[in-house]
Amino acid sequence: MSLRLYKEPDLGEVEMVASWPGMGNVGVIAVDTLRGQVHAEELGEIEPYDLFFPRKAVIKAGILEELEFPVNKFYYRKLGDKGLILFLAEEQPAAAGRMYAEGAKGYQMANMVLDVAARFGCRRVYTSGAAIASSHHLQRPRVWAATSALGLNKEVRRYENTVLMSEIEGLEEQGNITGLNGLLLGLAKKRGLESICLMGEIPDYLSRAPFPYPRAAKSVLEVLSRLLGIEVDYDPLDRMAERIDEVVETLYDSLPPEVLERIEQRRTSLEGKGSGITDDDASWIREHVDDLFKKGHGSDERSS
Amino acid sequence: MCEPRLVVGWNTDAGRLGARVTEYLIERLGGEDFCEIEPTEFYPLVGVSVEDDVAQFPEGRFYCCAEKNLVVFKGDAPSFGWYGYLDAMLDVGEACHVRELYTIGGMVFPGAHTVPRELLAVSNCAQLKETLGGYHLSRGGDYVTPSGRRPTINSYLLWVAKRRNLPGLNVWVPIPFYLLGVEDPRAERRVLHFLNEKLDLGVDLRDVEEDTRRQYQAIAEMRTRFPDIDDSIRRLETNLTLTEEQSQRLVEEIERYLKQERR
Repeated sequence: MSLRLYKEPDLGEVEMVASWPGMGNVGVIAVDTLRGQVHAEELGEIEPYDLFFPRKAVIKAGILEELEFPVNKFYYRKLGDKGLILFLAEEQPAAAGRMYAEGAKGYQMANMVLDVAARFGCRRVYTSGAAIASSHHLQRPRVWAATSALGLNKEVRRYENTVLMSEIEGLEEQGNITGLNGLLLGLAKKRGLESICLMGEIPDYLSRAPFPYPRAAKSVLEVLSRLLGIEVDYDPLDRMAERIDEVVETLYDSLPPEVLERIEQRRTSLEGKGSGITDDDASWIREHVDDLFKKGHGSDERSS
Repeated sequence: MCEPRLVVGWNTDAGRLGARVTEYLIERLGGEDFCEIEPTEFYPLVGVSVEDDVAQFPEGRFYCCAEKNLVVFKGDAPSFGWYGYLDAMLDVGEACHVRELYTIGGMVFPGAHTVPRELLAVSNCAQLKETLGGYHLSRGGDYVTPSGRRPTINSYLLWVAKRRNLPGLNVWVPIPFYLLGVEDPRAERRVLHFLNEKLDLGVDLRDVEEDTRRQYQAIAEMRTRFPDIDDSIRRLETNLTLTEEQSQRLVEEIERYLKQERR
C-alpha cells in the first residue's frame, strides 16, 4: 500500500479535513461541497489495491480490460497565507459486507491520512460524519463533537449548534465513534496531533435509509466553515435537502401509525424541552423503522 | 515440473463448481499438497462454522500434479486483504514458473438444466484468447459490473495476473438456480472436458458423464411424480419465468429429492 503525492506545494499554516462514506453520506457531502467551493486541486492519493475490493470489472470482446477501485484522494487549496488539505474517500476499508473500517486496514489507512497531515505540518485534522439521534427530520440537526484533547472541547463549545458528546442526553461521558472517524481521532491523539470529529445528527428512524442526508451535512459544514474561517454558499446543499425532504416526507407518511405516534410524541417532548421518550421507546422505533429498509440493499459478490 | 499451468477453484463458488472441479482433478491426477496460505491476515478467525456437524476452517492449498505438469489451488476466498492474498497465490505460481492461469467459476442461470449452456471465457491478454479456437467457448463478450454489485474474486485474480504479465483465463459455466445447493455434474463435465483438452490431461471423464446421466434421470423421474415441478421446469425450458413462490418450491423440492436420492 502506498501513498502517491502528485506535488508538494508550500501551504503555510495548514489544516486538514477528512471524510469517507458513512450514514447519510454526511461527511462526504460536506467535504465535497467545500472542495467544490474553494476550487481545491488534486494533491495525491492512497493506492487502493491493498485496502479495497474492486468496484467494477470492464470486459471488452472477452478480454478483461480493467478493474476500477474506490478512489481516495487528497486535495489542496492555499487561501491567503493559510493552506487547506481535504481528503475524500469513496469507501472505508471494511471486510466483505461491512461499511465501516476496523482492524489493521482501517488503522493503516488512518495512519496514511495522518502521514500526509504530518508531512505538510498540519496544525489540526477535522473528520466529519453522522450521529444517530433521537431527533426529528423537521428539526435542524445539531453537530456532535469529540476531540483529541480536553483543551479543544472548550473551543468547540463556543460554536453555535454544536454539542460535545458528553452533553448528549443518554450518552453522558461514554460514547463510541465507529469506523475511520473514530480511528483517525484516536490515532491523531496518539501521534500528538489536534483533531476534532464533527457529526451531524440523523434521526434514528432514518439512520438505515439508503439515501443521503444533506441537512446534517449542512450543519457540519456550517461549523467547519466557522472553524476554518471560510465563506460557504449553502444553496447547493439547501436544494439537495429540499429534494431529499420530499423523499423523507413520503417515507414518513408511510410509517405505521403506532410508530408515527411515538415519533411525534418524542418531537413534542423535545420541542417542549421535556424529558422525551424512554430509551426503550427509542429502540422500539428504530427496530420498527429498520424493517422498512432491510429490503432492497445492493448485493455483494465479494466472496464468490 | 516444467512451466506448469495453474488451475484455481474457490470453495464459495456458485454450486461449489470450482471446488468440485479442483477436488476431482486433485483426486484423479494424484495431486499432492505442497504449500498453503496462512489464514491469519485474510479471515476474521473468530471461531469456526460447523456444517453437517463438521468444523470448517479457511483453507488455501496448492497441489502438485507432477505427471501432468499441473498445479491446482483450492481455497476459500479471503474476507479481507484480497490483493495480498491473490498476490501471494501468484508468488507461489511464479516460484513454480507457472506459465498460464485458469480459474473456474459458476454463474447463476435462471433457465432449465436441459437447456444448452455455453462455456464463457474471459482472458487477460489477446495471445491466450487466440489459442481458444476449437474449444466451443464463447469468448467475445462485453460486460461491465452492474451498479450495486461487485466483480468476482476470479476477475480480481485475473487482473492481478495481468499486472504480473501472467496470461490467464476465467472459465464460467451457467448453473441453473435450482442446482446451486446440490451439484451440477453437467457443468463440471463441461469445464473438465475443456481443461482435459486444453491442458492435455488425458483424464477419463466417464464417471462424471455417468453422474450427469444419473442426475438427469432422477430429475426426469421427479417430473413424472410431481406435475407442478414438471410444469415449472417446462416453463423454464420455454423461456417463461416463474413466480418467486414457484422458484422457491422448485429449489426446495429439487434439493430435497436429489439429496434423498444420493443417500
